[in-house]
Amino acid sequence: MTARTIPVVQSAGLCKTFRDFWRRPRVEAVKDLNLDIRPGEVFGLLGPNGSGKSTTIKMILGLLYPTRGRISVFGKAPSDVAVKARMGFLPEESYLYRFLVAHETLDYFGRLFRLPARVRRERSDRLLDMVGLRHEAKRPIGEYSKGMARRIGLAQALINDPEFLILDEPTSGLDPIGARQIKDVIRNLGDKGKTILLSSHMLADVEDICDRVMILYGGQERAAGDIQELLRRRDVTQIMTPLLSEKTIERIRQVVLESEGKNVQSVSNPRVRLEDFFLSIVQEAQRAKVRTSGATAGGEIPEFLRKPVETAPQDVVQTLLEGAEREPTLGVREQKESVVEISAADGVLRELLGAPREELPKPVVGPLVKPAAAPARPRVDADVGVIDALLDGKSNRPDRSNEGRP
Amino acid sequence: MTLVWAVARQMVAEGVRMRIALVFFGLVALLLLGLPFSIEGDSSLTGAVQSFLSYSLTGTGVLLGILTIFLSRSLSNELVNQHVFLVMAKPVPRWQFILGKWLGMALMNFVFLGFAGLAVYGMVHWIRRIHPPINDRFDKIELENEVLVARHGLKPKLPDFAKPAEREFQQNLEEGLYANVPDFDASEERERLLQKHEARWRVVGPRDTRVFDFENVLCDRSPGKEIQIRYKTEVSRFPDDEIFRAVWSVGDPSKGTPVYDASVRHVVGRRHTLSVPADTVASDHTLVVQFFNQNPFKGEPQFGNVIEFRRSDEVEILFVVGSFEGNLFRSLVLIYCKLLLLGAVALLAAAVFSFPVAAMFAFSFYILAGSRAFLGDALDMASDDTLSLFSSTREFAVRTITYVYIALCRLIPNFAYFDPVETFVNGRNVSLVWVLQALSELVLVKTSIVLGLAMLLFHRREVAEISV
Repeated sequence: MTARTIPVVQSAGLCKTFRDFWRRPRVEAVKDLNLDIRPGEVFGLLGPNGSGKSTTIKMILGLLYPTRGRISVFGKAPSDVAVKARMGFLPEESYLYRFLVAHETLDYFGRLFRLPARVRRERSDRLLDMVGLRHEAKRPIGEYSKGMARRIGLAQALINDPEFLILDEPTSGLDPIGARQIKDVIRNLGDKGKTILLSSHMLADVEDICDRVMILYGGQERAAGDIQELLRRRDVTQIMTPLLSEKTIERIRQVVLESEGKNVQSVSNPRVRLEDFFLSIVQEAQRAKVRTSGATAGGEIPEFLRKPVETAPQDVVQTLLEGAEREPTLGVREQKESVVEISAADGVLRELLGAPREELPKPVVGPLVKPAAAPARPRVDADVGVIDALLDGKSNRPDRSNEGRP
Repeated sequence: MTLVWAVARQMVAEGVRMRIALVFFGLVALLLLGLPFSIEGDSSLTGAVQSFLSYSLTGTGVLLGILTIFLSRSLSNELVNQHVFLVMAKPVPRWQFILGKWLGMALMNFVFLGFAGLAVYGMVHWIRRIHPPINDRFDKIELENEVLVARHGLKPKLPDFAKPAEREFQQNLEEGLYANVPDFDASEERERLLQKHEARWRVVGPRDTRVFDFENVLCDRSPGKEIQIRYKTEVSRFPDDEIFRAVWSVGDPSKGTPVYDASVRHVVGRRHTLSVPADTVASDHTLVVQFFNQNPFKGEPQFGNVIEFRRSDEVEILFVVGSFEGNLFRSLVLIYCKLLLLGAVALLAAAVFSFPVAAMFAFSFYILAGSRAFLGDALDMASDDTLSLFSSTREFAVRTITYVYIALCRLIPNFAYFDPVETFVNGRNVSLVWVLQALSELVLVKTSIVLGLAMLLFHRREVAEISV
């Protein structure tokens, strides 16, 4: 197995039982969990409170020991310090030292990775820029708001430029701008080949960012797979076009009825997402230089985090091959759009678009098969994130924030 | 070592930022500045300085002991506030984390103790300056010679009492004196005779003389230097005027040293010090001191009074081997050694228990270590005689418990043995050997064992464990 094919995290029959003072089993937090996180993928761990997400993460970090089963990280035991040198961790709560200022916090955690003083200084400055807290670097963490503490938490998780990043509720406590920035950072890190494990209650976040997800309930796996496949509705077809006249829409209704014997269920103008609308307002205020005591807009991702994770020679070929097989562009979202939702029938699409049959993508049918490596990420040109924009549009990661939404 | 140092620095930063250091400096300042005004003593300068040194060093030691236990809260905090989740997610071996915490405590104690030492030193000189003037220069000289100095004490070489005791035993045996003694125990009788001969040597009859030989008197014999003879006498019949008369002759003419005679008229039952020139010590570092019991002195009603030098208040000679500053430093090192061990114990407790329980554990250790002598006495009580009271099964159980108790007692050090205050306050040398003994026993052996145990327990512990 090459470095790129060894699973980053692999568990088999993983169980964790919490015991009481007399060592009697009380809570079975994780039951028979088989986890397989592959290099370069963004993996989402979903589940309600008490579903075993945090316990699983703590076992990956070596903070808890499995009661039964096995777990390995980069092929080694989670307690191996060499493994931890390749990881970054943002916990669910801010477990930072309240008496340290931001710079000292990053410096301390940098020291724990044995980073030289110069590197620590440079990375601290750049990460503080990235999370928009450079101007608050001299304030003790204890004085920070929850959102600001989350930002410092993310910065400390990135101080060692980790290959594998574990993010437990990364956007919790953040305002929409912060949440968007963090999502952009995660997305960009994913683009650079970092492996990311994301645990979140914010389903929209997971949907935006993750390649694969696992849903836990009662400590057990309930569903797992490629997020696109899991969320795809196979009984509905959605067509998105520039704004259509009533007359055209009526013609479409007739064509659908005549060809398929089915009615168009709904025709509507898609709404702008509240997140996008809110961000546009705030960005306008920021351009007008309105003062604020909180975090400012995040800066550019530091250079040291932009380097892609090194790929073994044989994997480069595989990556290129995967790139050739990428799905076609999902479409460009414009401001004036209409959405027509009909029953699935690619014949209608052909008729409407006047395209030959072989150019259209075939729908995926049958049982889900786990891909051998992380799924390739199709290229899009629209809705570039804040950080992407700062990177001069160099990112090749799609923005999935609007996929599947009317 | 980088990681250990990083954790230690972090702990020091915590101590400073959480104002632990500020509170300690405030308490030490309060203690040291307040003591000169609150101690009455015997109104002499020597008494004032001795009282100050005694209270300040004891107070500082106790304060630092409490502080050390509270500093261990840093580890409890890491666990309770879950900072440890972040730290243990980094490539930090757990043993290095514990070692770093201990090093942080050691660094803080070093600074605190250094500060306290400097403050004590400064205050002693301040007391010397501001103390009300005394009638004569004697008090000041006494302070210089008996307190602000490091003196080595030597006991006389005891004669061999075993030979005469054995001779007497054999003679008594031949004469059949033990023939009718029921349950005669020869070893007990030998021991009794040995004690009798020593007791006889310790008393000096009327108009009688006793010679005390000292060896290894490694003092500075240059002109102007002095040695001191310190003694305390008891008498067989307390004189009406509480006074006894004697003549001390110091020196050995057979080895070419001058001999100095000193007639003394001293109060009975008190300690006395006699200063004599150091050139009385022979070149082979031996010294001969002769005591002549001048009773009965003509014209005084003390006929037949014998003078006794008890073993507990042995005659001894004292000579300067170091400075007050060096003595203070070594005293602080002894206190520091105890703090290093206490810090390790507090960390061990914090690695296992929550802070209140850990603090109780560490305080118990501190108190037990301080009263180790009492525990030793308790051990003696658990003798075979006590065990024989039980039946065989119970005896086995009691014996097992006793051995466990003994083992635990061995682990608990005798902090009183390593307490330098009395020695230091009396101007006695806090010897380097003593310091090295503390370093080896308290730090190298016991601190290493306790720290190793703390590392092992912390390594095995699930730091994110939830107790339900």
